[in-house]
Parts: sequence; C-alpha cells; structure tokens
Amino acid sequence: MIQEAVSFTPQFAVAPVTKILWLIPAAPMVAAGVIALLKQPQRRTAAWLAIGSLSFSLLLSLMAFAHVVGGWAAHHAVRETVNFTWMQVGAANIALGWILDPLTAIMLVMVSFVGLLIFIYSVGYMAHDENYTRFFCFLALFAGAMLGVVVSNSLLLLFMNWEIVGLTSYLLIGFWYQKPAAAAAAKKAFMTTRVGDVFFFLGMVWLSAQSGTLLFYNHGSGALEGLALTGLLAQHAALGLTAAGAIGLLIFAGAMGKSGQVPLHVWLPDAMEGPTPVSALIHAATMVAAGVFLVARVYPLMQDGAAAGGTTTALIVVTWVGAITAVFAALIAIAQNDIKRILAYSTVSQLGYMMAGLGIGGVALGMFHLITHAFFKSLLFLGAGSVIHGCHEEQDVRRMGGLRKAMPITFGIYAIAMLALCGVPIFFSGFWSKDAIIDAAQRWNSSVVPYYLMLFGAVLTAFYMTRQVSYVFFGKWRGHQPAHESGKIMLWPMAILAFFCVALGIIGTPAWPWFDAFLGNQAAHLQMGAFASSEFLMMLLSATVVVLAGIGVAWWLYGNKSPAAGEPDALEKATPWIWAGLRDRLYVDELYGATVLAFYEWWGRVSDWFDRRVWGGAVAVVAWLFSLWAELNRFLDEQWVNGGFDKGCEELSNGGGLLSEVENGRVQIYLRILALAVVALAILLIWSSRA
Amino acid sequence: MNYTDLFRATLPETVLEIAALLVLVVDLGFLRKAALETRVAVAALLGAAGCVVGLWAVAFAGAGGLSFGGEVLLAGGGSAGVAQCGILVLTALALLLLIGSDFTSHAGEFAAVALMAAAGGMIIAAAQDLLVIFVGLELLSLSLYILTAFAKKSGKSAEASMKYYLFGGMSAAFLLFGFSYLYGISGSTWLPRVVCGVNNAAAHGGAPLLAVALVMIAAGLGFKVAAVPFHFWAPDTYEGAPAPAAAFIASVSKVASFALLISISSVALHFMESFHVSGDGTAAFSAQPPQITSGFGAGWPLIVAVLAVASMVFGNLAALVQSSVRRLVAYSAIAHAGYILLGLAFFSWTNRSAEAVLYYVLTYGLTTIGAFGVVGVVERVTGSDKMDAFLGLNKRNPLLAGVMLVLFLSLAGIPPLVGFWAKFNLFAAVLEAAGGVVPFALVALAVAFSAVSLYYYLQVLKRVYVMPGVDESPLRVPPFALIVLLVIAAAVVLLGCFPALLQGWIASFY
Repeated sequence: MIQEAVSFTPQFAVAPVTKILWLIPAAPMVAAGVIALLKQPQRRTAAWLAIGSLSFSLLLSLMAFAHVVGGWAAHHAVRETVNFTWMQVGAANIALGWILDPLTAIMLVMVSFVGLLIFIYSVGYMAHDENYTRFFCFLALFAGAMLGVVVSNSLLLLFMNWEIVGLTSYLLIGFWYQKPAAAAAAKKAFMTTRVGDVFFFLGMVWLSAQSGTLLFYNHGSGALEGLALTGLLAQHAALGLTAAGAIGLLIFAGAMGKSGQVPLHVWLPDAMEGPTPVSALIHAATMVAAGVFLVARVYPLMQDGAAAGGTTTALIVVTWVGAITAVFAALIAIAQNDIKRILAYSTVSQLGYMMAGLGIGGVALGMFHLITHAFFKSLLFLGAGSVIHGCHEEQDVRRMGGLRKAMPITFGIYAIAMLALCGVPIFFSGFWSKDAIIDAAQRWNSSVVPYYLMLFGAVLTAFYMTRQVSYVFFGKWRGHQPAHESGKIMLWPMAILAFFCVALGIIGTPAWPWFDAFLGNQAAHLQMGAFASSEFLMMLLSATVVVLAGIGVAWWLYGNKSPAAGEPDALEKATPWIWAGLRDRLYVDELYGATVLAFYEWWGRVSDWFDRRVWGGAVAVVAWLFSLWAELNRFLDEQWVNGGFDKGCEELSNGGGLLSEVENGRVQIYLRILALAVVALAILLIWSSRA
Repeated sequence: MNYTDLFRATLPETVLEIAALLVLVVDLGFLRKAALETRVAVAALLGAAGCVVGLWAVAFAGAGGLSFGGEVLLAGGGSAGVAQCGILVLTALALLLLIGSDFTSHAGEFAAVALMAAAGGMIIAAAQDLLVIFVGLELLSLSLYILTAFAKKSGKSAEASMKYYLFGGMSAAFLLFGFSYLYGISGSTWLPRVVCGVNNAAAHGGAPLLAVALVMIAAGLGFKVAAVPFHFWAPDTYEGAPAPAAAFIASVSKVASFALLISISSVALHFMESFHVSGDGTAAFSAQPPQITSGFGAGWPLIVAVLAVASMVFGNLAALVQSSVRRLVAYSAIAHAGYILLGLAFFSWTNRSAEAVLYYVLTYGLTTIGAFGVVGVVERVTGSDKMDAFLGLNKRNPLLAGVMLVLFLSLAGIPPLVGFWAKFNLFAAVLEAAGGVVPFALVALAVAFSAVSLYYYLQVLKRVYVMPGVDESPLRVPPFALIVLLVIAAAVVLLGCFPALLQGWIASFY
C-alpha cells in the first residue's frame, strides 16, 4: 500500500528542542517531589502542580512532535540523540542519553495528552479521597517515568524509568491499601512483572557484554545500529537463535510482564483494585503499552538478519504470543461480571493484537493500534469510572441496568469507545488499526493460524462489549439507590477522548497511510483509489461480518433483558461447563498456585527446616562446645589458678588504672603512647626488613 | 628562580594573605562599633571572597610550579592543583558556616587565621622540598591551634587547644627529627634527591637509621591525618573546638595533609620509574610499570598499611560507643583516614590512585563540613552535642533533618550519594594498583568496617527520624546557614548521581 519505498536520508543535527527534551520527563518528576513535601490539606496546590507540570510536558512534546513532522515533511529522517557519560568505571564508559525520532515523538504526545486528560478527570473522581495529595504525587511520578521510558536513548536509562513505572504502578494499585484485595493485587502486580524484568535485565547485560554499549543510537556505534547488529548476528546462541534474536526475546520477556501477555497476564485484571483513573492511565493507555513500545524500540534487534519480506524466529515468537493472548483474554472477558475486569481482560487481549501486529507487520502496525487503543480504552475506563461513581461504587454489571436514561452523556461517550474497540468499520479508529493487523496476518507467510485466531478474537471482542453495554446501559435499573450523571470535570476529558476515538482513524487509512509512512520515514500520498481496491473491500467485508456477528449474537442473548443479580447468565444456561471455566479465568491463577507458589512454599518450608535443624543445630553444637570449654576453664580456674590470680590481681588493677587513664583524656599519657607507638613501629620495620 | 616566577607560583597564597589582612583591617578598623552579627557576616563573606579570588589565582598560576636551581620547590597542576582548589572551596564553605555563630567576639581574627591556615595548607599541598613542607605544616598547625582555642568562654575549647598543641608540638618534633635523618642520609632536602639517597642507603645497609627516620615521619604525618596511634588529639579537639574550627580541621587540614602524602608517594614512584628505565641502559622512555611498588624501600607502604588497618579498626569500633555526636564524627574521621591510607599504602604508578584519594578526601571534606554545620546549629539551640539533642529533629526542622540524612548516609557510603563513589573508586584503585591476597584482604576488611560504620551513623539518624522527641518546638536555623547546608547536601546528591563530573574535573588537572 505504500507507494514510495525509498526511505529518507537520516539527519543527525541536534535541534534546540531535542536539547531540552529531558525537561519533558523531568517536569512531572520534580512536581512529584514537590507534591511529596506538601501536607494533606494542600489539595488544590497538589492537583495544580501535577496538571501544570504535565501541561508543560505536553507543550514541549507538541513542539518536539512538530519538529519531527517538519523534518519529515522536508524528507529528513529525524533521529536526534543527546548522549553523555554517566559514569566511568575503569575502562567501561557508561553512557546515557535521550532521543527524538518519530516513535518517541508520537508516544510523547500520546502519553502526555492522555495523561493530562486523566489528571483532570482525577480531580473530580478523587475529590472525596483523604489522600488526594499522595495520589497526585504518585500519578505525577508515574507520568514522569513513563515519559522517561519514551525519551530514553539508552537501554539502561529506559530500564531505570521502567522500574520507576513498575514501582508507581505498585503504589497506585495499592493506593487503597487498607483493602486487603488491593494490597494483594499490588504485590501480585509487582512480583509478576518482576519475573519479566529479570529476563529483561539478563537481556540488557548480555547486550552490554556483546556490543559494549547500551545506547540505542550513537551515530553508527549504538547497539541498534549496523556494526553492533552485524556483530550480534554473527554470534550464535542456543536453539538456532542468533545473539540478536536471543537478546531480543529476553527483552520481549520483560515486555510480556509489563504488557500482560500470556502467561504473565494474571496481574493485570487484579490491578483493577486501584482507583479507576489509575486503571485508565496506567493499566490501559500507557504503562501496559510500554511493553509494546519497548519491542518497537528494539525492533532492529528482533528483525536482525531477516531477509527482505522475511521474518525471524524472535518475531515469530512475538506474533504467536500476541495472537494467543488476544484470543485467550477475550474468551475470559466474556464471563466476567465486574465492569472493570471485563475491560482489563479486553486490554490484555488488545495488547496481544499489538504484539502480533509488531511481529507480523512491523513497528507502524503495532504502534498505530497502541495509539488508537490508548484513546478508546482509557475512555472506556473513564466511562466505567463515571458509571461506578454514578452507581455509588457499584462495580458488578448485574446490579446496573438502564443507565442510558440516568447517565445519557456517559452512555453516548461510552458507546463511541465501545464501537471503536469492537472495530466497527469506517467511522471508528479501532477498525483502521485492528483490522490492518488482521489483514496483515492473512498475508503472513509463516502461518495462517494467527489470522484465524485474531479473527475469532475480534468476534469475541464485539460479543463481550455488547454484553457489557446491554447489562449496564439497557434493561431495567437493578441497583438500590438511583444513579446520577457525573460532574463536568469528569465529562469534558471524556468528550475530548471520544473525539479522538473517531478522528484518529484518518491518519491510518489505506488511502492515506500517514502513520505508517511517518514511522517508516517515507512519504505519504493521498490515494483515494486504495478504497476501491479488492484487498480493502475484502477486509471491509470480513470486518463487517465479524463485528455484526459478535454484536448480533450478544444482543440476541442479552439485549434489553434485565436478569436479576442471582439469575444465571444466558450463556451459563447453555454451556455451564465452559462458562465455569471462563468465569474462573481458565484456572491460570490456580495453576500458578498449584505449581510455582506451591513450589516456593515447599522451598520455604525446606529452607526453614534447614535453618532450624541443620544450621541451627550446627550453631547449637558450636555454642555447646564453647560453653563446655568455658566450663572446663572455670574448673581449672577455680581449682588451680585462683591462688596465683589473687596475687596477680594487684598488678592487674594497677594496669587497669593505667588503661583507664589512657581513656581519661590526659595529654601526658597520649604523648607517652605516641612515643611507644613510634618505638613499636620502628622495631616492626627493622624486623620486617631483616626478614 | 626569578621574582616574577615566585610571584606567579605563590599568587594563590599571596591572595589569601592579603585577604586575611583585609579582613583584619575592615573588622578592626571600620566595624569596631558594629553589631557582632554584622562583623561576623562581613568577615566570613570577605574571607570567602578571598577564597574565590584564590581560585582564580590557582588557575592563573597554572602548571608551571616554582623551581630553584633545577629543583622544583612548589609543584603546579596535578594533585597540587586539585588539592589547592579543594582547600579554597572548603575554606570558603567553613567560613560561610561561621555566619550566625556567636562563640567569639573576634570575628575578624578568626577569619584571618583561618585564611592563613588555608595558605599553609596550599603550600604543603604543592611542596616538593622538606623545608618548604615543614614551614607549610607549621603555618597550618599553629593556625589550627589558635582556631581551636577561639571559644574563650569555653573551658573545653582551651583544654582541647592545649592538648592539640602539645600533641602537635611533639609530632612536629618527631617529623623534624625524621627529616634531619633523611637529610643526613641523602644530603639533600629536595624530595626526588631524598628518595634517590634513601634507596642508595637502603641498598648499602643503612636500613635501621632509615627505619627510624620513616617511622618518625609517619608519626608526624599520622598526627596530621589523625591515624591510629597518633590520633589521640582528634576526639578531644573535635569535641572542644568551636564548630567552624572543627569543620575546618576535619576538612581543609585533611585535604592538605593527604595531598602532601600523595606528593611524597608519587615522587617516590616516579623516581623509581626513571630509575628503572636508566637501569636498563636505554635512553627511551619505557611505559613498563616499575618492579618495585614504592620508593623508600618497602618500609613506607608497610608503615602506612599498619596505620591504615589500625585506624579502620580502632576508629570504627570506638565510634560505636560514643554518645557525643562530635566525638562520633571524630572517630569516624579516624576510620575514614584509615580507608584513605589504604589507598596510599597500595599506590599506583599511574594517576589512578592519586585521583581516587583526592576524590575521597575532597568529597569527605565537603560532607564533614556539612555535618559539623548541622551539629553546630543544633548545638547552638539545644546547648548540647549529645545524640539525644538530636531527638525528633525531623519534627523540629525537616529540612535540617534531611540535610543530616543525606550527609550521614553519604559518610556511610550508601549509593547514590557521593560517599559511595568515593569508597568504590578508592577500593577499586587499591585492587588495581596491587594484586595479591594482602590488598584484597585489607579491602575486604575496609568494606566490612564500612558496614559496621553504618550502625553508628544510623544511631544518630534513628534519633532524628524514628525515636519520639522530648522537645518538639520548631528549631530555628539562620536562613543563610540553612542555604549553605542545603547547597552542600545538594552537591553530595548531585555529585553522587553524576560521579563522572568530579572525576572528570580531577582528571583534567593531570
């Protein structure tokens, strides 16, 4: 579909905006530091500091974006880096730096823009929370670290920010730490992502050892540039992988943890215990996308050694993991009843699409879905937050219903986001991004299975979203107190996001593949003819069929019926066994409980036993031997030595007096000791030179 | 030598002396009737300004040094340059901390004497001749005795000064006696010739006399850096001296003395290097490392290593039981001197060791000045330097408590503060300079004792942060002192986060 395959010439000159790019992550981080010093009642200051700093970041991000677009329009591939030596350890020179390229520019704008809207929304959502200032402190720290991940030009700097992002995720999931479920979810999130991070770290160490640098781009000597890539390709790791592929996969494991890919997805649904703006910002729009971004960032490593149009083992693995995740999570989403959990599984599923998009079609395909998804999924979460807020903290969809009358604006906005997620053709951005991935999968030359998996996933997506919307907004109200619409400060950010859910599609249509061209540093041409091509029409047809099938079946099962809370689900009646399995999240948690956790518990018991019995026993034996020795000494002392001892005592007490005088602060003693020390040292020296 | 050279090479010292006289003139001439606060502030600011001009003068004097009859008396650039800049910066900081204190009504004299002490420190940092070294040392030491005694109303101050003076006098006598032996052995007072003569003597059976000379010099210099067993003055002096004087002794005097030890060690090594080359009979310079790891025979490193181990062990253990924060800092200073001496005992013939030692002593000086600043402020309000005076400091003044947290954790060597990098560099330099079991074991010992040191630093921080306070009324800090302390703490954090900054700056002098 891309008309001109000639890439632009790279441009290395560093523009002023790149030089101050570090301010983008620094501003929210500084704000977080200042907010941390504020006292609880200073709520307005805290909120304004956070919002103000992120507005500043957004402004700078837009300037950076404009600069990159300007370069692109002038047919320059902008990839500007600023690197500096962080520390020197022996001969090793550890450098850090930041980068401005199309990938960074787009992510910067997305993160700071969505972040800003969610910050504003939080002002309303958290208005009644006691720990308002703490919330904004964590939120600002998160935004800073996330922007830091995006601008890093060094895997090490990226890793540091990555860890801060993980930490703030932990802190925010457990924000209501008095709830045991929230505290447990926070721990689970931290430890599960840590499993991935260990592999990430290994990959980083390996890369550093092989290429001698952790900078991504450094005028030809970076780890993602020609020389290093050639070197990595020549190294063979195990299982037929090159070193490049193996390192890429290790880093991908880190991305799997953060982006909730199967089998490390278990933490993400539990993370919904956090406040809803957190779910929207961190666990839908930005942090979970950091994994996708990371894979996009190290894409040259993954792709290293692929023939033209071909693929590599690493990319095949990424594709399969993504496709399986997409279906797996969508299946589970069908049978959930918590409004946020449904969205959480949907996020896992969509992240799978993004990964598969990266694996199949390259950076642009996955990243476009990342950007559109960030908008509609955060909107869904904010909508869910609005619903929860309006229904007095109720989260079970079976206790809602008929809200389209009570909350008309929320309903309208939510419906737009839901249609975008389902991928309703033409009008919604989700169609252009998701179906581009599915379309590319159809033509993937490695296997057709991912194509069918993702097609099935798309049906499921339409199905579970329709189910959720029918439960929440249609039928009769099944709650206790009547629901109310949310305030303006919450609705406005949602309206803005809703606009982008529709509008963003324009930059990724086959007729004007601007996004693709921008990330690939190629020119984009408007070609209305692409809409008439048979490929596009087939894609349109299949997408329409898929969406209609999903929505139709769900509407037939759930539409306008209002089952009471205790009543079994429509699907449950038909297939109780499958339903139970899906409802219980396909037993992944139970599997981990029975294997990994059981092993650790057993190992803990063994260690405890060793500590108590073996080591403790050894210590006890040694202690016993010493006390025996002491007893023996005492016996000898009392029987034989005492007589002589009494005589010696007088002498010793004189000596003791001497010793105490040493500590007495008398300068005469000091000087005597000085002289003695000189004599002793001289004797030592003469003796040693003789020997 | 001509007078232009003399003027250029000693310009920094001259600037300091002029500043000292200027301070006296202004204080005793124009400000006789002014309030004490004003006089203290003017004296401190003038002195600090003198130090800033001194920094310019160091740059102006450049790397030329001062030669007389082919012998370099004062070295320029290199370690000397780094140490001189460090001395000036630390002196300025110590003087700025004087503002707001009221222990003396002779503000001008205090600043003037401190500036003279700094001039003495700068001389010994650059000196390459035994006589110049001794003159510089005496200028420094005599000024320090006076500074210690400055709190005339306090009996402790007078006692501390007396002890310091007696101990210092005895040490100086030892040092001079040792120097005279060296002169007798080598027939020269110029360090390179002394090293040459000493090695000849060592080769021809002059060992016992040489041993006595080296031990006496070690006693003299061990006194300056407060190494065990020549450390007895330190706890009493640190406890009794006025806080700015104690800060000065703990930082500026340390930097100067270690700079002297560095120049002695490197002269010895560089001489050995050329000796090695000419011994081969080849005229070309050989980049091979010398076979013998230090001049003065093998005796000097042995003595230094013994002092290092004794200081590390004794300093850290004794600090554990202190209840006075000043004494605690004093014993910890002894321990830090032990670590640094370890770096000097296993000295590398490249610049690595010198750079690591300078890095350590400069950052240590900076941190200690800050620590004494905090202690001084707390002492002024509570009237005590006992650990319990710090109870609940976090509630009374969170900023001051934060500064204390940063400084003490840095002293303990917790990353990412600068104290960590100082230790890391130093120990890495030791292991690079000398392979084998003994250096490794000593570094392991040093690391183990740094862990021990964390205990007593945390004892203080526990009182600041955790334990309930008795008095929780806000503790007022003079704003200027607080700014200086915050700057010091910020520097400790920043230099720790970007260790390459200071490393690069030091390396730029070589």
